[in-house]
Amino acid sequence: MKQILLITDGCSNVGESPVLAAAHARQEGITVNVVGVVDYGTIGELGSREIADIAKAGGGISRIVGTPQLAQTIQMMTRKTVVQTIQQAVNKEVQKILGDGSLAELPPQQRSQVVTVVDELTETSPLRIALLIDASASMKPKLGAVEDAIRDLALSLEAREGRSEIAVFHFPGRSGSEDAMLDIDWTRNVSEVRSLFSRLKMRGATPTGPAIFKVLEHYRYDKLEEHRNYLPGEDDGAREGMIDGYVV
Amino acid sequence: MGMSSNPSYPAGTVITGKWRGNRYVVERVLGKGANGTVYLVQREGRRERYALKIGYDTLELQSEINVLTSLQSCRKRSEHRARKESPLSSYLLESDDFKDRDHTPFYVMRYVEGRPLHHFLSRNGASWLGLVGMTILEKLQTLHECGFVFGDLKPENVMVSSYGEAELIDYGGASPIGRSVKQFTEWHDRGFWNAGSRTGDQSYDLFAFAVLCLRLLNEQGLKSAAQQLPQTRSVEELMKLARELPDKKLSSWLCLALKGGFPGSAQAAEIWRSHIYRGRKTGHETMATPRWLKNAFALSLFLLAFTLYWVFRF
Ligand SMILES: Nc1ncnc2c1ncn2[C@@H]1O[C@H](COP(=O)(O)OP(=O)(O)O)[C@@H](O)[C@H]1O
Ligand SMILES: [Mg+2]
Repeated sequence: MKQILLITDGCSNVGESPVLAAAHARQEGITVNVVGVVDYGTIGELGSREIADIAKAGGGISRIVGTPQLAQTIQMMTRKTVVQTIQQAVNKEVQKILGDGSLAELPPQQRSQVVTVVDELTETSPLRIALLIDASASMKPKLGAVEDAIRDLALSLEAREGRSEIAVFHFPGRSGSEDAMLDIDWTRNVSEVRSLFSRLKMRGATPTGPAIFKVLEHYRYDKLEEHRNYLPGEDDGAREGMIDGYVV
Repeated sequence: MGMSSNPSYPAGTVITGKWRGNRYVVERVLGKGANGTVYLVQREGRRERYALKIGYDTLELQSEINVLTSLQSCRKRSEHRARKESPLSSYLLESDDFKDRDHTPFYVMRYVEGRPLHHFLSRNGASWLGLVGMTILEKLQTLHECGFVFGDLKPENVMVSSYGEAELIDYGGASPIGRSVKQFTEWHDRGFWNAGSRTGDQSYDLFAFAVLCLRLLNEQGLKSAAQQLPQTRSVEELMKLARELPDKKLSSWLCLALKGGFPGSAQAAEIWRSHIYRGRKTGHETMATPRWLKNAFALSLFLLAFTLYWVFRF
């Protein structure tokens, strides 16, 4: 499972549309969730519409919260998205067997079994989350809270049985040509990383769209590596076999 | 996903099960939470009243039902072995879908008459904590023996009868031991206090229970400790609060639970029983006749260690 979690506080203003970028992500099997962080005032109609649209295009969830709720919110969103992704995959399998029966229409016994499978996979499937942090000037006072929230998320992920990894990006990058900068590459123990945004320089523009594209590239690049290291299709095969085993 | 717009059904509404056909008449709303609404209902044609939970999300509710079902059969097995029937085994009555309304899923459970723990204590006084705490720990112990952790332990999820018998409600946060904790509340979460992982184990519940005690006895202190920056938030702060409590045995028990020092809930419950529940009733008697000596050797060793621990601490 792959997710991008975008944390921002306003509108994009440079480059491609972030909604387009999110649609691309979805196409590649990556769910995009968005959190808008506002402590004073509001995010504005334009900003909140963009946040909702990005999440919709990316097949994910969006929320607008203050810094005190940030940690809890991203923990909840991540979990919910994992469950949804699994549920969609499982539903597909269920439909193969039962025509168009959704979970709610299954008889109790079978529903209980399907949910057991969903719970199992929610806990054990490998998960990757790329955090994409808006580091434009207005975000500066909130970055401390963002960092705490990331650590908190890492703590929840570390408790999972399945392999869970986080990568952290911020945008804009160092120069005009760098849309987003990788702060931490895929890791399983973020809680041990001392400072997440050590080399951070705040700059004005907000190239949200190009930044999402940059993360997609990173995901793609990594897939090549993955294929070299793992047996191809290992996860998918196990997953489908398991569902069949339970439901049939 | 079977999301309902969660309306409150008025008194008199008949909830008919789609699969099993039983009919329940709504008397009133008992409470609403994040996962569902709970109604007081009467099974049509019978006198008994039950609590009926209607979920907002099919998957979440089914997951909760699954936990309750496996707990039920685990308890039945152990009661069968002990040749007794306790009300515990009949907590979950049945689950079904609301026939007429979008097939919204629901389950029916025993109606726990009483009030939430924090209301009970503020009305009856903190002197009840010894007794109520013991029954909570016993409930946790049973749960742990069945291989589950409760997860979201907080005063709102504990109902107390007028004579101090506690019952855990809301198993939405329960998960098998060794799995990640599904649902938690910041103050009660050991991860929030930088005091350990979010993997469910017996100590996770004991930690949450210790915070629950602090919250009941010094909510203001807990609140200000929780408002510190995440980096400085630590279990030390909680232990400081625990040490300020007048009952030193309770202080020691709480500190040990906060540090994850109990081997399990069986030992934690036993110590609570012999040092806090009994110790309280008899005032200054320090070392009651150790009934527990009859128990496992390991346990008595641990009790000895605990006794030394609080003797030397103060
Ligand atoms: N078995 C029960 N007997 C009496 N009251 C109950 C029972 N179960 C739940 N309630 C009441 O309903 C409220 C919400 O139920 P709960 O299961 O905690 O929902 P949620 O999972 O949404 O938090 C509880 O806080 C309590 O007041
Ligand atoms: Mg509840």
